[in-house]
Amino acid sequence: MDYITEARLMTTYLLSKPLQQAEEELYVKAMEILDLNFSNFEEILIKEMFQNKFKLSCLDAGLALVDPSNQARRKIFTMLAILEASPNYTDSFLARDFSISDYFNVFFAGIRAVLRAIIGVLMVKNIQRKCH
Amino acid sequence: MSLKFDYIVVGSGATGAIAAKTLVDKGVAVALLDVGVTDEMYKEQLPNKDFVTLRTQDVDQHRYFLGAEMEGIPWETTRVGSQLTPPRNFLTRLAETILPIKSETFQPLESVAKGGLGGGWGLGCFVYSQKELEAIGLKASEMTPAYQSVISHIGVSGAKDDATPYCLRNLLDVQAVTELGENAKGILAAYEKKKQRFHKQQIYVGRSALALLTQDKDDRKAVQYKDMGFWGDGDKSAYRSWITIEQLEKKNNFSYHKNCCVLRFEETDAAVRVYVKRVDTNDNQVFECKKLILAPGVLNSARIVSRSFDYKKERMPIICNPYSYMPCLQWRRLGKGIEQKNISFSQLMLFVDKNNDNFDVSMASLFSYRSLLLFKLIKEAPLNFADSRILMQFLHSAFTIAGVHHPEWPSSSKYMQMEKNADTFSGDVLHVTYKLSDKEQQINRGREKDIQKALSRLGCQSLKTIQTPMGASVHYAGSLPFCKSGEHFTITPKGKLGGTKNVYVADGSGFRYLPAKGLTLTLMANAHRVAKNVLEND
Repeated sequence: MDYITEARLMTTYLLSKPLQQAEEELYVKAMEILDLNFSNFEEILIKEMFQNKFKLSCLDAGLALVDPSNQARRKIFTMLAILEASPNYTDSFLARDFSISDYFNVFFAGIRAVLRAIIGVLMVKNIQRKCH
Repeated sequence: MSLKFDYIVVGSGATGAIAAKTLVDKGVAVALLDVGVTDEMYKEQLPNKDFVTLRTQDVDQHRYFLGAEMEGIPWETTRVGSQLTPPRNFLTRLAETILPIKSETFQPLESVAKGGLGGGWGLGCFVYSQKELEAIGLKASEMTPAYQSVISHIGVSGAKDDATPYCLRNLLDVQAVTELGENAKGILAAYEKKKQRFHKQQIYVGRSALALLTQDKDDRKAVQYKDMGFWGDGDKSAYRSWITIEQLEKKNNFSYHKNCCVLRFEETDAAVRVYVKRVDTNDNQVFECKKLILAPGVLNSARIVSRSFDYKKERMPIICNPYSYMPCLQWRRLGKGIEQKNISFSQLMLFVDKNNDNFDVSMASLFSYRSLLLFKLIKEAPLNFADSRILMQFLHSAFTIAGVHHPEWPSSSKYMQMEKNADTFSGDVLHVTYKLSDKEQQINRGREKDIQKALSRLGCQSLKTIQTPMGASVHYAGSLPFCKSGEHFTITPKGKLGGTKNVYVADGSGFRYLPAKGLTLTLMANAHRVAKNVLEND
């Protein structure tokens, strides 16, 4: 998968927003600078992750518990940093006054995080088993 | 051929800058030898605007927040120095190459930048009590005027409150305290309500005394509350040692020599010869002076002295404050918006003084986590990044970080050794062994629990205590302990290096004890005192 398609999928997953061209270019630049090397396991994880948003979210959650420093997550982390350092997405990061509906959102995010973690851990273990 | 000067100061950090200034003010000719790495990349890129405006408007903010080489997106396990933002990264550039160190148990942060580690100083100012100074090996009668002289030069703001006995004590010429952010206001209000109860438990909270201007001073501007203190020093409201060096460079009796890594010295009957290896050309160079004042930082003073005495000392002592930090949540700030105006530095201090004698005090500096980007916090949560982002945005304003320093004494399990190694820039490597005893660790854990409880009563719930590796506090001392007899590898109370006639040490190498309170102001005051002694002994 090319960097731009990766970047677009990650932005939809992270913020449910479309990716702007400036951040798209910055992600490509970041990947070229970082020049990440992946193990066989990480290569398979990345291939799985970028199939769709659901797999991406669950594998991210699973790795956060099982193997938080996995290089596959580094791609998502880099995208997250790029989005935060852009005025196009500031409102998704900068502290703000939360409304009642936002409180529900936070509660819902907590529940969703747990569910994603449960599914994600099983998915990661499954890929690990296949690798070995 | 050697270059000849009356006085040579080595190092441009907090102590070197003040020692040089003290000498220059008395009209003598001073040369300062320094490696002097500077930031050539970011200083022009950082706009002179506040954090919120930059975050919401600047399309180029990634250049300084993330860095040109994406160095502001740290992935590896947190190492000492990784808290430095891209515009501050120059502080550690070249240090690992020029000042090699090996250790399994100690991770120091060293700098060969112009202005040294002072460029990343948290600005907290503490005047030590008489008991603390005695334990260090210093006299209150000599230090009090030295403290006063230093704060008049660097500019310090502070308040008169319960923290005063632990911060500025009776010093004069203090500027008005900074305005409080909402986060700190909540904690202080909780303290004021239960003050009597806290006092019964010997717990004191008050405003931080900071080397941060609230009124203009010379060409330096009063703080504008832009909350960019972790990123740059545009208006010079925060004191940095390079400010003093820049002021001195305008004087005729001062010369600054860049790219000079001092390796060793040698005393002859008439002079001190200083051997330098240039970092730009790798050439050797010799300087000559009547008096040499070493102030390159404790670890590097140990290297220079060890080489100059032919590596005769097998083990040199070292002390360093153990440091831990506690991310805390202040419930009443959950889901609150960001304020336009704030400062990045610690606004409140908490002291636990169990014996009520201002000695062996435990201390926490309280910071808000405002101007460091959220993605670094998101990474620390054991959750997927997308949901973690929503939770962290909600928690962001409620975060308070309590940085806890512990007092520290020397022991036989804390030492340094120099070993020759032809493969390195200097031809040797410094090995450090640093182990806290079980009893010391137990005492520190007890202190942390006291602080955690106090924070909880202030409405700040500590989430966990994160222990940093030894060396992370960046407070080093005690490698050449003060000793009246003037033996080799010690410093006399006047600051002269034992076994020499004209070599002085103006950094913290002599300190025999480290209080929990930050030592930078005391280091500067001691440097002033030593420089005065150098002149008086002429």
